[in-house]
Amino acid sequence: MDKRIVITGLGVISPIGNQKDLFWDALISGTSGVSEVTSFDTSPFKVHKGCFVKDFNYDDYTKNGSSREIGKGSQFAIAAAKLAIEDSNIGLNNIDPERAGVSIGTTAGEIQILEKVNYIRHEKGEDSVDPGLFLMHPCVNMPSNISIEFGFKGPSTIIPTACAAGNYAIGYACDLIKLGRADIMLAGGSDPFSKVAFVGFSRLNAIAPDICQPFDKNRKGLLVGEGAGMLVLESLEGALARNANIYAEILGYGLSCDGYHITIPHPEGNGVTSAMEKALINAKIRPEDVQYMSAHGTGTVANDKAETISIKKVFGKHAKNLAISSIKSMLGHTMGAASAIEAIACALAIKEGVVPPTINYETKDPECDLDFVPNVKREMRVDIAMNNAYAFGGNNSSLILKKFTD
Amino acid sequence: MNNRLVITGISVLSSIGVNKDEFWINLTNGASGIKDITLFDVSKYNSKKAGEITDFDAKEYLGKKGIRHIDRTSLLVSSAAKLAMEDANITHETYGADELGIVIGSTYGSIDSISSFDLEGLKEGPTFVNPMEFPNTVLNAPASRVSIFCNATGLNSTISTGTASGLDAIIYASDFLRLGRGKAVVAGGVHGLTPDVFWGAYRSGILSGSRNGDIEISAPFDKRRNGFIIGEAAALLVIERLEDALERNAKIYAEIKGYGCTFNPDKVSRDHIDTTQGVRCISIAMKDAGINSEDISYISACANSSMTGDIMEARIIKDYFGDNADKVPVSAIKSMTGECLDASGSLQCVAGVLAINNGIIPPTINYQEKDEECNLDCVPNNSRESEVNNVLINSFSDTGNISAVIISKYS
Repeated sequence: MDKRIVITGLGVISPIGNQKDLFWDALISGTSGVSEVTSFDTSPFKVHKGCFVKDFNYDDYTKNGSSREIGKGSQFAIAAAKLAIEDSNIGLNNIDPERAGVSIGTTAGEIQILEKVNYIRHEKGEDSVDPGLFLMHPCVNMPSNISIEFGFKGPSTIIPTACAAGNYAIGYACDLIKLGRADIMLAGGSDPFSKVAFVGFSRLNAIAPDICQPFDKNRKGLLVGEGAGMLVLESLEGALARNANIYAEILGYGLSCDGYHITIPHPEGNGVTSAMEKALINAKIRPEDVQYMSAHGTGTVANDKAETISIKKVFGKHAKNLAISSIKSMLGHTMGAASAIEAIACALAIKEGVVPPTINYETKDPECDLDFVPNVKREMRVDIAMNNAYAFGGNNSSLILKKFTD
Repeated sequence: MNNRLVITGISVLSSIGVNKDEFWINLTNGASGIKDITLFDVSKYNSKKAGEITDFDAKEYLGKKGIRHIDRTSLLVSSAAKLAMEDANITHETYGADELGIVIGSTYGSIDSISSFDLEGLKEGPTFVNPMEFPNTVLNAPASRVSIFCNATGLNSTISTGTASGLDAIIYASDFLRLGRGKAVVAGGVHGLTPDVFWGAYRSGILSGSRNGDIEISAPFDKRRNGFIIGEAAALLVIERLEDALERNAKIYAEIKGYGCTFNPDKVSRDHIDTTQGVRCISIAMKDAGINSEDISYISACANSSMTGDIMEARIIKDYFGDNADKVPVSAIKSMTGECLDASGSLQCVAGVLAINNGIIPPTINYQEKDEECNLDCVPNNSRESEVNNVLINSFSDTGNISAVIISKYS
């Protein structure tokens, strides 16, 4: 149970770059991933922007071409997982498939498949739908497709806790290794662009018209994004035995639930506070030990305000010393992938000694008066980073990463 | 296992009973909950039956307020959670709300809500969809609704591993408690019947009676089987560490003794059934429980009357138990409840807990014609009195997920 868990491989598919190095360069240069939505007609809406993965060709990531038809969520996840395994330098042949598993998070799974099914049903009637297409939809397909792709025979699971799902999946992967139920886990999150989410958030007036401005006084909402982030996790002893490059150690995590409202965050951030406190206790560190925080920071009025309140509650005076950034300012909200991609950003911040900025930050909000690393990256030593993610349903999560030292 | 885990509460809403006593009486009497569907129109399909719950009124459990926009799956599981907590004599104050967790297995129950939201946008225009229906489109909505109804502000998680979801939710909750991350977890699965999932399964030809001329019957291990019948249910357990349960003087139903999960990446077909990962999964669970194959009193099968799945399970049992395979009673409660998908594994757990406490093994009903490929002692048609000490519960999903849990008499 005292096994230490380390991150030894990173893979990203994102609106600002596919592959870890390209992603990181774009991230610390403050690149925006925003573009027009072109996959469907947005003319009935007041908003028209989203954040899309670019230059993605799934065949580039599969050895024998895409022989099996799978949804885009699985494609993103498999591509990110391939990149992560390559990055870990472990070599697929050196992995015992019975000791390797998958733990992934998502908001909507293969939502594009269901949207396609519904489109056909609406246009041509339900008898025109290929039943095979419908069966590709349920989100369980996502971890299954990954396990099948790599031939893994250990636990294969999916935790769809919406916008916090990546953190949940990473946390559970750590537990599976700690409990000896697996040695190597592919963990992370994936979501393709969801029209359902776009429609829903726009009906809630939660989508920004142009840019995403987390913690800015004039923030106007989130931007729906897509992508995948996958990490290779293993026990420290396993990583040391194979002389692996260790990005960071996962020190602990905390989960909580608002139990308050299905879509509105608790105004005092009660659940969020509890998740952070549980994570600190689990990691056996003090609030003052944290230097960098990757905030949930969606860019909605309610989230960013409640998040600031809860950070202050947990960190007290130290809240002002924290470097806090929301990379959603660049990537948009990649939903279930978001916290996984943010965990990758934390791992790289620790490794590189640079923290990414919150871009589009123009006007200070007295209700969000912390250091959000505005617009420009910052070189600084990061020993401990906290990765926060919250979700619809009041699902809160907080993951703590630490620079690896013996 | 250094932290012993015990089951201190159970609840069930099913087509053969909306409380644990009614469920158990019907289960041991071999009553079937399968009947013509009334929740939606199936007149144009050959398959017309399901294990529908006809006497469920959410208001009885949750009150009248604020439930209008909540979908059936969420209403079922929220109601079941209240029942489970009542049964365990636990509230959000027992350990503090932050120590009370909810883990729900749900993969299919929200699909209809997502589709309805999406289709409304296609029909009426996307700016006319009702934002009140949007929250139902997230897959974690059922678990989140539970947290609100039960004031549970600790862990809240959803597991979506298809038919293995219910059992995997119980496993996830157990892992969480083993690591000391919370004090009590309400865990299990739910599946509310919806036209979308029925339609999808029907169109795929996996439902019983979907081909013209086939009888529509849930007959696991029987030669006449031709597919499964969908059912709906919510079945939950309250799980705690033994030391905590003892300290609060809780009633202990049974112990969660061990479990395992594996995955079969190879495609299964009638001509290609590889039992390796199924056998390995049971071995992991047995090792975790620290018991031997002869200690198993009863296997609660996941067999659901499907052509290949039932054969695969029978072979896995034979391969693992060897010479003992004929001696272990193996019953499939899906013969009575139908295939309750996400809820099935936890429903089997509730049945297993009751079997341990009552010393009765429920039957596999509708068993008439022996299939040589599934020739196990499936407790045909009549329940059997027997001391039940250790129950093996199987969940094998078409998606490759394989899970097994062992629950045991507490001593």
